[in-house]
Amino acid sequence: MEFKRDDLIKYGLVAILAITAAFPFISDSVFLLNLFVLMLISIIFASAWNLLAYSGQGSLGHAAFLGIGAYASTLIAIQSGISPFITIFLGATVAAFIGVLIGLTCVRLKEWFLAMVTFGFAIIVQALTVSILAPMTGGWDGIASPRLVSPSIPGYQLIEYYAILVITIASLIAIWYIMKSRIGLAFLAIRENELEARAAGVDPVRYRLIAFAMSSYLAGVAGALQIHHIGYITPELYGVDNSFWPITFVILGGLGTLAGPVIGTIVLTIIWEGLKATGLTFGRYVIIGFILILTIIFLPKGLVNLPERLQVWWKGRGRKGIRAVPQKE
Amino acid sequence: MDNIGIFLQIMFWGLYAGCIYILLATGLNLIFGVMKIVNFAHGEFLMIGAYITATVFLLTGINPYVILLLSMLALVGIGAVIERLCFRPILGTGKLNEIFLSIGLIYIFQNGAAMIWGDAWQSVKSPYDGITVPVGSLNVPVDYIIIIAFTAAILIALFLFLKKTRIGMEMRATSQNRKGAKLIGINVERIDIISFGIGCALAAAAGTLWVVSGQVFNPYMGSIPAVKAFAIIILGGLGSIPGAIIGGLLMGIAENSAAYYLGGIWKDAISFIILIIVLVIRPTGLFGEKGE
Repeated sequence: MEFKRDDLIKYGLVAILAITAAFPFISDSVFLLNLFVLMLISIIFASAWNLLAYSGQGSLGHAAFLGIGAYASTLIAIQSGISPFITIFLGATVAAFIGVLIGLTCVRLKEWFLAMVTFGFAIIVQALTVSILAPMTGGWDGIASPRLVSPSIPGYQLIEYYAILVITIASLIAIWYIMKSRIGLAFLAIRENELEARAAGVDPVRYRLIAFAMSSYLAGVAGALQIHHIGYITPELYGVDNSFWPITFVILGGLGTLAGPVIGTIVLTIIWEGLKATGLTFGRYVIIGFILILTIIFLPKGLVNLPERLQVWWKGRGRKGIRAVPQKE
Repeated sequence: MDNIGIFLQIMFWGLYAGCIYILLATGLNLIFGVMKIVNFAHGEFLMIGAYITATVFLLTGINPYVILLLSMLALVGIGAVIERLCFRPILGTGKLNEIFLSIGLIYIFQNGAAMIWGDAWQSVKSPYDGITVPVGSLNVPVDYIIIIAFTAAILIALFLFLKKTRIGMEMRATSQNRKGAKLIGINVERIDIISFGIGCALAAAAGTLWVVSGQVFNPYMGSIPAVKAFAIIILGGLGSIPGAIIGGLLMGIAENSAAYYLGGIWKDAISFIILIIVLVIRPTGLFGEKGE
């Protein structure tokens, strides 16, 4: 059964990738292309958050690393003239470095103290950006950021799209390797039972910091890509919204799984854009809130768990009085 | 104004801001103490309380300090429903789950309120607007004094409720030992609902006092004060109501000093800087040893 499910998800992911890769040949809508780019970036960001959650650490301020990566990449690109293709990774390194620093303050804390610290950290970084760092960052007004691919090159949108697609796939493969590796096992061990992990020789502090570094690095990549795609950066990037989105994506898709953030991001993006067509503004967020709460209560393992749940329900149908309750692991 | 005058003024603003934090933090402490859940959406109850007061006041013109009671009652109801429908099903599945669920609640409440009342900043004028009382060298708006008095009255009432009534004692028993409370026949689920309702009512009181002070409010006003209230109860000790009071006052003063001396943007940041510094030095909080 497990084997089948894994296969299903693997083929599903490959199918999604194939559709995304072939998309520009099917449609030449700039709007959709733009939407796909932002969706790919969200997938990286949600996966980054998910990787940290995989080690048992739930961040409520991941927008901080999104923003730090974006600002660092932009500023390096402006000051030195290096291509954004390189500065993305330099900016992400800065984000990872600061992520480790925050991780250091968090490693000894209870899981929900950590949520508070990360939430507060995003607010502190925003305050720094618009006050002390304002001469560099342009304060609330923000600054222009070099485009990933210069608009003067013909077909620049397609080049950009495929570049971002490649980076997304590379990130997902990297996360897949991490999750399968000893590091991923260590993350799981710490998440499930820190004491036992320690007894088995896993150093929780070290692995938590590794998780922070990897997660903030990927979040930094996502932030830098987003900003170089849009071409402008403001401190709004640090907003609470940007911290909450990846959580919503991951919870809906399935916490702690590789496919969860991908599926969650795609499904929610479709719902979000569909709702936009109905003209709802605030109502869209209300619906997202209901989806999130209903998922947590009725589908705690997310959409990736849905096929199994349906199977259990299908087998259990007809038998009166017996409710299909999925077995606990 | 001379330096001492400015300092006194800041202290007074801090005292007033502290009142709002104290009410929020006490409510959170009560809920956390009894149910051990982390509800980041607590500030949304403050916001709903504020809007109920403002709406009823604008429609009827009844004195807003009277509407405070109505607002608190309404929030007891809303809180009970939220507890029953959202938090009870996931009780015991982990703190992170509770936090994620409260993010959903934040989305629903903030944007639901924006659908009803719009998302613009609003403010109302209290009937005592413009009346000031000289306190030392300061001219203090009479509303601020009423607000401080109301906060004190609510806290004393809560204290008596917890110490003297049967339900209050059951709440304390549940917070000390949930299993033990069950064993001696306390209906802990009923106590959960009551505690959640009272916690929400305290948030509604905070929201009402926010509105009558003449401060601006909008549907997104609640989230940051709620997280700050959490910072306060971490600093002041989980489950400790005196800790919440002292922490709330200190936070109010620190914040207003920072806003005055460093600039308005630091008003929110300073609370978290304090929180991070304290947690680096003492990962369990200043007085936190027991609790969870």
